[in-house]
Parts: sequence; structure tokens; C-alpha cells
Amino acid sequence: MNSAQIEIQLIASLVAVACAIPGTFLVLRKMAMISDAISHSILPGIVIGFFITHDLNSPLLIVLAALTGIITVVLVEYIQKTGLVKEDTAIGLVFPALFSIGVIMIAKNANDVHLDVDAVLLGELAFAPFDRLIIAGTDIGPKALWIIGVILLITLTLLIAFFKELKVSTFDKGLATSLGFSPAIIHYGLMSVSSVTTVGAFDAVGAILVVALMIAPAAAAYLLTTNLKKMLVLSVVFGIFSAILGYWVAHWLDASIAGSITTVLGLLFLAVYLFAPNKGIIAVLYREKQQRTEVSLITFLLHLKNHSEVEERHVNHLREHINWQKVRAKKVLDLALKNNMIHIDNNVVSLTEKGETFTSKAIDYIITNEDAQIEDMKDDFFLFRG
Amino acid sequence: MDLKEYFSLVFNDYTLRTITLGTAILGAVTGMLGSFAVLRKQSLLGDAISHAALPGIAIAFLITGAKDTNILLLGALVSGLIGTFWIRGIVKKTHLKSDTALGLILSLFFGFGMLLLTFIQKQPNANQAGLDKYLFGQAATLVESDVWLMAIVTGLCVLVLLLFWKEFKILLFDADYTKTLGFNTKTIDILITSFIVLAIVLGLQTVGVVLMSAMLLAPAAAARQWTNSLAKMVFLAAIFGAFSGVFGTAVSASQNNLSTGPVIVIVAAVFVVFSFIFSPSRGLLFKQIRFIKNRRDLKLHKTLAFMHQIAETHEDISHPHTIKILNNFQGYTKGTLKKLVDKGFVQLQGNMWSMTEKGYSTAANLYNQQTDSHE
Repeated sequence: MNSAQIEIQLIASLVAVACAIPGTFLVLRKMAMISDAISHSILPGIVIGFFITHDLNSPLLIVLAALTGIITVVLVEYIQKTGLVKEDTAIGLVFPALFSIGVIMIAKNANDVHLDVDAVLLGELAFAPFDRLIIAGTDIGPKALWIIGVILLITLTLLIAFFKELKVSTFDKGLATSLGFSPAIIHYGLMSVSSVTTVGAFDAVGAILVVALMIAPAAAAYLLTTNLKKMLVLSVVFGIFSAILGYWVAHWLDASIAGSITTVLGLLFLAVYLFAPNKGIIAVLYREKQQRTEVSLITFLLHLKNHSEVEERHVNHLREHINWQKVRAKKVLDLALKNNMIHIDNNVVSLTEKGETFTSKAIDYIITNEDAQIEDMKDDFFLFRG
Repeated sequence: MDLKEYFSLVFNDYTLRTITLGTAILGAVTGMLGSFAVLRKQSLLGDAISHAALPGIAIAFLITGAKDTNILLLGALVSGLIGTFWIRGIVKKTHLKSDTALGLILSLFFGFGMLLLTFIQKQPNANQAGLDKYLFGQAATLVESDVWLMAIVTGLCVLVLLLFWKEFKILLFDADYTKTLGFNTKTIDILITSFIVLAIVLGLQTVGVVLMSAMLLAPAAAARQWTNSLAKMVFLAAIFGAFSGVFGTAVSASQNNLSTGPVIVIVAAVFVVFSFIFSPSRGLLFKQIRFIKNRRDLKLHKTLAFMHQIAETHEDISHPHTIKILNNFQGYTKGTLKKLVDKGFVQLQGNMWSMTEKGYSTAANLYNQQTDSHE
């Protein structure tokens, strides 16, 4: 590894951390798409800033771009408040319009601007180490590293200083207001941090990767934990992991670093989405299947309790009557047998004593629909799962 | 005459005619389907799908090695559909919300697409240049066969809309009721979503991945302001979309260095802003005017009620009072007094006023019943 490679990975990791922190709150506040809107609509701000300064790394550029980001948020909220369209439509209307203005401005001045829309959207991390920050004649590292480092430092300071406020206002807006935190200030604070981070990172990694780095680690973390602190830590870890692995994938494929970091993030999310212990898709499908079987079992037991006639309780009749497939009927029957709920004589099914009590309890619960009843039953319930 | 020249060009010049027709048809079909997306609160789905289509284009190119538009769009369609159904899967089966799911699919698919595009660019294949036109679209590359494809898809879409109009409409406004009626909501849902994906994919070549969502939303959002009827909205959105396409093409053709996609989006945005402000029933302008008018009426009522209170204390209701005693009342201005006189509720004699019979009875009933005599 040479020093440029280390620097690229360092920049990518810092961007990942700087994005993961506001991203976690955006995901929790159901405002993930706002980050997408900001990442597009900062374009006119960047273009105007570039016209004034002719330097892609000037602080004025960042200020102007962050300002357009905040204008986007304000515009979206204004349109939403008029009640003419819903929030998502408002977002979808504002950012393409602003983005188009940016694209047109670049196109009209294409001759004297070497600013590329692709560069804004995609960035080129590979070139970041070549743009050095030189103070008083000494080279102190790549500019991008310093910019994102400062942004990350500010984000971290704000996070630590206002962690409690952020937490309360994210999960209970009403409580936050009654405690005296202004939700508006926190909201716009978060929006400002998101804008500044997007702007600071676009040069290095591009606008789309910023969105991916904000949302994907947070979403993956959210599937694994419901504790805010753990979620923050997890999304930071996921971000750094994908940044470094993504770099090496890009190195190996000789392709865009931003694209490969996003791809690694995508695979990471896919893995979590499939295999997360409680909320992953496999766990959810398994649980749903269990629940279906349990409901079938209860239906079956209730049916037995309702009918004392022999012909109603005959094994073959059950299948016709409750309208179950052969396999399913057998599965339910086996489950009930295994738990000593029923016994079968001559193909006639009847409830055992245990089954009787259980069914009465179940009826009680269904009739009264009180939670207290089911607490009692839950113990019995898990017994079935053999 | 510039305009005349332009029109003669539209009819005579092959390229301009093709592009104008193409963008018009595209605008119409996205407007129609966009109405459903907007009303189903799936506005951002378009954004996600259009980004999600990118890897499909790249993979289709990698497999076939040819730049045939139809095959690339087929790839885009497949990957757009995969993205859409993954979004649905995330929203349905996990506790992640739809905004997170949309943002995830959008950025992850797009990033993967970019990885593939940059990978393709490094390949030793002379054919690969120009794939990135799908990022921002290039209407100039439209040829007649593309326009035919658009026209066929639009025709198909209109046909399906007409056939399943009732089902789409009922699903849109009351999904639970639709289920109880025995319709297969899942199939209808998939049908309409697939058509939205199809419309988006069609537009990729012209408008590009990044701006496609605006083509879907803007005409529909503008049309929504003018009507409350679904049929009218779909129709209006189609017209708005078509006009955005035509105007956008015209503007971008008349200037150098202007790509068509962003201009079409700006034109559509102008339609939206115009509708937001000037729509008679929902527009901001008329809402504000109604607001001011209501406030004035209220002030008038207040003054009248105050006069009524004074008049009540006298046996003769038309007993004259000085105008001065109204001065410490906030609803009173010279204008309101004059209006009351004009309406015949009050008579003026010098600096004295007195209530008329009509004014007295109106004031007495002011809060008892809803008099529509003022409106």
C-alpha cells in the first residue's frame, strides 16, 4: 500500500463516518429521501459558487451549496404546508427542478467551466490525494481529507452536545416540545449538518454515494438493533467496512471507487436483510409460517371442541370441512398429537384433557380479547414448537 | 419569423420532428401514469425506479455487447422491476419505512450501475461509448423506431387503463373496500406498478435516469390542482406532459448547448408553479383572495353587530347616533361604513348614522342563521 492508497481509504472512511451519523437520524425520522433531494439540489449552489470562485474546494462553495440544500428543505416544507400536494410529491418536484437549473447553468457556460455534472454526481476519489492542502509551504495532506475531517469533527461535537435532545425529538416529538426543546431548531440543525456533509463529501465520493452512505448503513443497523447508541456504532462500523472493502474491490476491478463502495454497501445490506436474527426476511418468513400453523391449530382445536358428533370429528371429514390441504392437515394433526392435545381412535379425533383446558383458555381469550389472558397462554404456546 | 421558421422545421426536419413527437408522447404517457403514482403516494418511486434501471442497462450491454436500444431498455425494465419489488419487500416484511427503502434501492442500484459503467468503459470494446447518455438522456438520439416503440407502449397503456379503469380507480381510493369486493388487489397493484416502471424506462433515453422522476410527477401534480375527478386529472396530466415535451424540445432546439431533458423538466416545473398559484379552487392566489374577502366580511359583520347592540337600547331603531362612537371599535373603517350604507343597512345624515329596518333584522339574525344575502 502506498501513501495515496492509505489516504484514499482514510478519506473514504471519514466520509462514511460523517455520513452515518446524520444518516441514522434521517432513517429514524423517516426523512431518508430528503438526503437524496439535498444531494441533487446542491448542484446549482455548487455551480454558482464555482462561477464566483473558480475553485472547487473553496469554502464559499461549501457555504453556498449547503445553503441550497437548506433552501430545498424549506421549499419542500413550504409546498407541503400549502396542502396542494403530499410531502413525497413535494420532494420529487423540488429537487429535479433545482438540479435541472444546475445542469442548464453548466451547459450554458460550458466553455469557461471545467465542472462536470458526472463529477458532482459520482466524484472521483482516486484523484483526491493529488489535490494537496499547502499551508506556509508545507504539505499537510489532501484537501478533501481536511474538509471532511473538519465536517466530521463538527458533526461529532454536535452529536455529543445534543445527543439527548436529538434522541428525544426523534422518538417523541410531543415530549421534546413539552420539555422545551424546539423541534424546529433540531430539525433544521440536522438538515444543515446533512447538507454540509453532502457538500463536503460530493467532491470526494459524489452525491449518490453520499446518499448510499447515509441510508444503507443506518438501515442495516436498524434491522439489527433498536438501541440508538448501538445503531450509531453499528452504522459507523458498516460504513467504514464498506469504504475500505469497496476501495479494494474497485482496485481489483479497475472501476469507480464510489460505485464499488456502494455495491459493497448493497451486498452488506442484502446480507443483513436476509439473515438478521429477528427482523431479517428469513426470520420473518419463518415466524409467519409458525404463526400460521399456530392459528390453524387453534382453529382445529376449537372445531373439535364445538362438535361432539363422531362424523364431524372423523379425520377425512376434517380435511373437507376446514378445507385444508392434505399436507397442512397432517402437519397440524401431528403437532397437536405431539403436544398431547388430541388422541385419535379409529380415525376419530377427540380432545385430551390438556387440549380441553387449552381450548377453553383460547376461547376465553378470543371472547374477552384481554392481554392478561394471552400472557398466561404464551407459555403453553411455546410448548407446541417441537 | 423565428417561430414560423421553427414550425416549418418541426414539419420538415426529420430529427426535430422525431424528437418533438417522441417527447410529446413520452410526456403524455408519463403524465397519465404519473397521476396514479402521485395519488398512490408513490411519487418518489419513480425516482427510485429510474435510478434502479441503470445496472440493467449496463448488464444488458455486458451480455449482448451491442448498443441496441430495445435490449438495453429491456435490461432497464428488468432491473427496475427487481428494484420495485425489493422496495415492496423491504416495506412489507421489515420495519424499515418506505422512504428508507426507496433511498436504499435508489442509491445502491445506482452505485452498482456506476460500478458497471466504469468497468465497461475500461473494457477493450469500441462500442461502449455513449452508454452514459442514459444518465442525463439525450433526446437527439431518438430515431423513428424509438418513437414507434413509445407510441405502441402508450397505446397499450391507454388500452389497459380503459379496460381496468374501474379497478384502478377503486384500488386508488379505497384499497380495503376493493379487497372486500373480491378483486385481486395484488394483481391490480402489480399491473399498475409495472406500467409505471415501463413508462419510466421508456423515458430514460430521452430524459435520463436522474430527471425521470420529475417527468412522472410534475404533470400529475399540476393536473391535480385543476380537478377533483380522476379521469379529468389523467387527461390533463397527459396534456401537460405532452406540452412540456413539445415546449422543452422547442426551447432546447432554439439554443445552443441546452440538453433537452433538463429543459423539459423546467417547463414542467413552470406548469406546476403556474397551477399552484392560479388554479381557481386550490390555487394559492385565489385562496389568499378568498381569505382576505372572508376577513372583510367578518369585519363588516362585527360593525353591524355593534350597531345593532346600540340600536337595541333605543325604542326607535332608526334613532341617529354619531359616527364617533364607532371609532373605538376595531371592525370600523370608513370603507365598511360605506359598504353598509350601500347595502342599505345603515343611513347616513351628516356625521350621524341610523339603522334601517333591513339592517336591524339582518343584524339580529346574523348569528342565528346562515344568511347568504351577503355572499
